[in-house]
Amino acid sequence: MSVRHAVLGLLHQRARHGYELHAALTSLGGGEVWDVKAAQIYATLDRLAESGLVREQPGTQSGGPQRRPFELTDAGLTELRSWFSMPVKTGYQRDEFFLKLMLAITSGVQDPYSVLRTQRTSLYRDLHELMTHRQEASARAALAQQLQLEQAVMHVEADLRWLELIEGRLDDMAKQTTVEPAPKPRGRPRKNPQSPDGE
Amino acid sequence: MALITATQLVKTYAEGATAVRALAGVSLTLNEGDFVAVMGPSGCGKSTLLHLLGGLDRPDAGTVKLGSDELTTLDDEGLTLVRRRRIGFVFQSFNLVPVMSAIENVALPLTLDGVSASVAEGKAKVWLERLGLGDRVNHLPDQLSGGQQQRVAIARALVTEPVLLLADEPTGNLDSKSADDIARLLRSLSDEHRRTVLMVTHDPRIAASARRLVFLKDGVIVDDQNLSASLDTSSKVRSQLEALS
Repeated sequence: MSVRHAVLGLLHQRARHGYELHAALTSLGGGEVWDVKAAQIYATLDRLAESGLVREQPGTQSGGPQRRPFELTDAGLTELRSWFSMPVKTGYQRDEFFLKLMLAITSGVQDPYSVLRTQRTSLYRDLHELMTHRQEASARAALAQQLQLEQAVMHVEADLRWLELIEGRLDDMAKQTTVEPAPKPRGRPRKNPQSPDGE
Repeated sequence: MALITATQLVKTYAEGATAVRALAGVSLTLNEGDFVAVMGPSGCGKSTLLHLLGGLDRPDAGTVKLGSDELTTLDDEGLTLVRRRRIGFVFQSFNLVPVMSAIENVALPLTLDGVSASVAEGKAKVWLERLGLGDRVNHLPDQLSGGQQQRVAIARALVTEPVLLLADEPTGNLDSKSADDIARLLRSLSDEHRRTVLMVTHDPRIAASARRLVFLKDGVIVDDQNLSASLDTSSKVRSQLEALS
């Protein structure tokens, strides 16, 4: 997550010093969901000040970054607005499970169904834990926490549905032969490729 | 302690000219207080398994033992008594009698068994109150929401104090909020009232509320896992959860 923009947003609300920023950022998530170290905030503040997006509030005595109040500059507000106007792109990361599954199919070291089941059990245990926690938490937890818990539940659910889809097609996948690209010739081409035995 | 033990169940249905093997040798033991979800693609045999465990149907081969009773050797009358007194059923469609109030619906299994209406309704009221419907006892089914109707159906299934509760897609007709409530309720029946619950579902989050998950495929059990084996729970989720609390 963007600590930089979170700091800008919190400073737009009002001027704060580093220690206050750390506490405010922590409470944004309804708990210590975003594990941001205080030192990270101070370093971010220094970098933002160098870029002219924040500045020390005039008329305050100097001290450590935890005690010096910072405020947003006009350039900082422009940067913050531009951040809000952009959608957040979800990264489609390389999925290690899928790699495992494909290698199980091609290498024959492991039954791909067993790879799938191991993954499924693990996801269901995560979901069981999340559901249990959600039931216990729902009454007392802040709404921000509940929504994040719901997001985690939905992610696991989506993964499980994806596994279901894969399971239905695993036999077909195994039947498909992997087409590997032909190795490209390397180095200097031979002078007479027609007669490799030479003259 | 084993409450119900199914051994090598086989069931084939004739479908036109072809025979469909719904179960091809399923063995399963449920212990007292178990909360089990059965999952699998449609046609994998999960509803058939539930029907055989509940004595709603007879297997072609194999045995079902409930306590000391061998269900497969009971005559129809004996099977009816087992179903009426020792097993509770909950279905996707709530199957409530539309002209009877909630309390009359819940009391029905007892009154059918010859219990006086006043005693039966006394017990029915207790279960309706336990399930949070104390203020709905005189409502007709169509005056209740889907989630409330399913809770009435669960109260009806429990009023005979059965040792086993079988639920076939109990949340299939409910919105996600009511489905969550029913899942929580089934879990508490197992946690607090020591009922043994087996449910068939295709909904991952409902299944995940169970403590044990059985997967069927092509009529056989392909996976049987304990979900609350917290030793195996990934430390990642655990630490995320701790951070949330």
